[in-house]
Amino acid sequence: MHDGTLRRILYVEDDADIRKIVSMSLEMVGDYAVVACGSCADALEVVDDFDPDLLLLDVMMPDVDGPATLRRLRKRESAADVPAVFITAKVQASDIERYKRLGVCDVIVKPFDPMLLSDRIGQIWQDYRSGERVDTG
Amino acid sequence: MEKRERHKFAYGIAGLLILAFFVWTFNLLLSVQSNWAESNDVTAMDKDVHALFDPWRNLNRPGNDVLENYEVAAQKKALGRYLQEYRQARGRLDMHGRSKVDLGDYYRDMDAAAQQAETLANRVLELAEQRESLRLAGADPALISAAETEAATTMARMDQAFQSGLDIIAGMDQVIDQRLLDLESARRKGVGSLYLIVFVALVSSALSLMLLRRTSTQGVALQSGSERLNAIVNNVVDGIVTVDESGNIESLNRTAEEIFGYSSDSMVGHNFRALISPESRALYDTADFSSDSQSAGKVAGFTGIRSDGVHFSMELEGTRISVEGRPIIIHIVRDVTERKRSQKRLQLAATVFENTSEGIMITDRNGRIQSTNPAFTAITGFAADEVLGQNPRILQSGMQSRDFYEAMWQSISDTGHWQGEIVNRRKNGEAYTQWLNINAVKDGSDRVSHYVGVTFDISELKASERMKDEFIATVSHELRTPLTSIHGSLSLLDSGVPAKSPEKSAELIRIAKENSQRLVRLIDDILSIAKIESDTMRFQLRSVNLRELVADAVEANQDYAKQFGVRLLVRSGTEDAHVLADKDRLMQVLANLLSNAVKHSPKGGEISVETRHNEGYWRVTVTDNGVGIPKSFRPEVFKKFAQADASDRRKRGGTGLGLSISKAIIDRLGGRIGFESDPGVRTCFYFDLPKMQQHWGVEAGGERIMTSAGLEAGRE
Repeated sequence: MHDGTLRRILYVEDDADIRKIVSMSLEMVGDYAVVACGSCADALEVVDDFDPDLLLLDVMMPDVDGPATLRRLRKRESAADVPAVFITAKVQASDIERYKRLGVCDVIVKPFDPMLLSDRIGQIWQDYRSGERVDTG
Repeated sequence: MEKRERHKFAYGIAGLLILAFFVWTFNLLLSVQSNWAESNDVTAMDKDVHALFDPWRNLNRPGNDVLENYEVAAQKKALGRYLQEYRQARGRLDMHGRSKVDLGDYYRDMDAAAQQAETLANRVLELAEQRESLRLAGADPALISAAETEAATTMARMDQAFQSGLDIIAGMDQVIDQRLLDLESARRKGVGSLYLIVFVALVSSALSLMLLRRTSTQGVALQSGSERLNAIVNNVVDGIVTVDESGNIESLNRTAEEIFGYSSDSMVGHNFRALISPESRALYDTADFSSDSQSAGKVAGFTGIRSDGVHFSMELEGTRISVEGRPIIIHIVRDVTERKRSQKRLQLAATVFENTSEGIMITDRNGRIQSTNPAFTAITGFAADEVLGQNPRILQSGMQSRDFYEAMWQSISDTGHWQGEIVNRRKNGEAYTQWLNINAVKDGSDRVSHYVGVTFDISELKASERMKDEFIATVSHELRTPLTSIHGSLSLLDSGVPAKSPEKSAELIRIAKENSQRLVRLIDDILSIAKIESDTMRFQLRSVNLRELVADAVEANQDYAKQFGVRLLVRSGTEDAHVLADKDRLMQVLANLLSNAVKHSPKGGEISVETRHNEGYWRVTVTDNGVGIPKSFRPEVFKKFAQADASDRRKRGGTGLGLSISKAIIDRLGGRIGFESDPGVRTCFYFDLPKMQQHWGVEAGGERIMTSAGLEAGRE
């Protein structure tokens, strides 16, 4: 059973620059351990060794997009139950509603403030944990 | 003495004639009266047959509903109520006795259908109940599904019974409508005969009047008879003019005075031909007004002249009779201007119906299609005779819910009107979106007689709206992506977080800078696309030597290529290659093809650029030995925001719009653009432009302006 603290974040993003900024922001501001992958294939390679607490996924990616990446990661035991968050530049209300129905806790829109990103992720984690406690009893 | 005998004889004959005339008139009145009574009854019957539609439709509901919600008790109750309502409506039909419409067979069929519908509906409810209790008892799913299947099969039979009931009601309605039509035509005939009576009475009265004048043996009684006759003649709706053999007017009634605008006094003695326009006098002179035929002598196409000089369309009848051995002609005159006008209006309406681009469909009040126009055929693919008598539901796509149609019919029955978007299906099976406007048309007695649907196909409009929305969403996404990097790196730098690490700071500054440049390129390209798509991009056309242009482009991009460790080589001959084009736009295309080739070449790669003949065109090719284009991506190459590998785009700094802009430019210049790719070996992009012709008359220095919509103006 998880001790309740968020430490390891697996992040999948095809844009190299955004990947760097998000990693820096989460590592330097939030003090999280981040593994950033450029594609679904890369993520599948590292997910079991890394054993993430949370998944952070871009939506619009070539070949395998965010929702499909999530589905594939979910098949791995190490990522089967961890909370997931989408981060996307698709900001139309209809898109966001659709993404939320795909089994993620929340959707973060781009551009975001890198100084607040860690807090936001931390809050999502808290909400997820308290929801989970209520669910289990 | 001899004269008196003759009179007696004449009176005797006249008396007999009048008696026969009265008997005939009396019979006629009787038949008109009974026609009227039956019409009332049949109309009431028609109403009752119509009132059968709704209760009958309701009978089909509980079965359908129970399969959706399994509220068996509620649906049983509903069925009971609906059956009650149906029986009441059906009972009313038995109360019509007076008419000659025999619906006995239909009643029998209807009752059988109702019996069957009731049995089937009950069976469906029973099956639904079984299924529910199976479900509650946690029975084997196979059993539940068997009950469901049987219920669905029963419901299908129910639908058949229901449909045949609808057909029977429609059949009854048709019989009744036919009877109503028969009654109507019988009534018209009766009324026509009444007119004839009046006419005969008038003519005989007119004759008598003249006889009386001439014989001058009038008594007081006869005098008053002639006054009555005058009153009648003066109040007839048609103009009556009598003329003598040489065409001089002897008398005219008040209507004729009104038609021609002259008083009786000023006309008597003048020639009747003066009242007819010169053009139709020849027709008058040759018209055969014979004496012995009832119908003879009715001639249309005359133009009359009013006292104020205005010409008008006139119908003229002439009956030649002999009064005391002296022939006279009785003319009946009608001003048909109004009728002509309404004929013209009808013609206009028919022309509009045939030629408008809106599809028009007219149904009777039971929804049977009676008429459609050519635009309807163009939109739906159904020819007029294919849909005649059909219900418009043959057009349904199944993409609207039952609620949608219910709301539609509710609106039509409440307000007589509905309009909105609806997805229908063409004859070839293709679904399309149309704008539809339905109006109920009412007859004189305020009863709906027809429905008119006017429609136009908006599927192309919808598709282009969708494409526009998608484009805007994509542009928003594409602009936000570099902005995320710029905003993110600047915020981190600003916070001082990476201050300890100069490497990280430098990296963040590079990210902000490169993404700013990328944003600028994106905005330029989006503007280019917008200009091209709104046809406002201007082209300054002049003679361009492709050989020189290629050399310039290679020169300009040499430094860029060096950054990637790639060499650009020109392999053109020495021949000039003149085309009519906009130099700057063409440079844009070349720069785009070159930078694409550079970005996709391996380090140390070579890119060759060549200008050569290709029949009536000059072809420029840009060939690289890079990774090439995967087969699956080939159809997408020239589409907006298309890139084989989107991660490449960021690494290589493209916008995903370059090739789509290049294609648009080459298309507008009358050329063609394409590529051949053998991944890993060679990839060749090329464009062809028509060779410059002498007779185009554009010398070096001369130019023409063209917007992307087309050639605008020539100028030296």
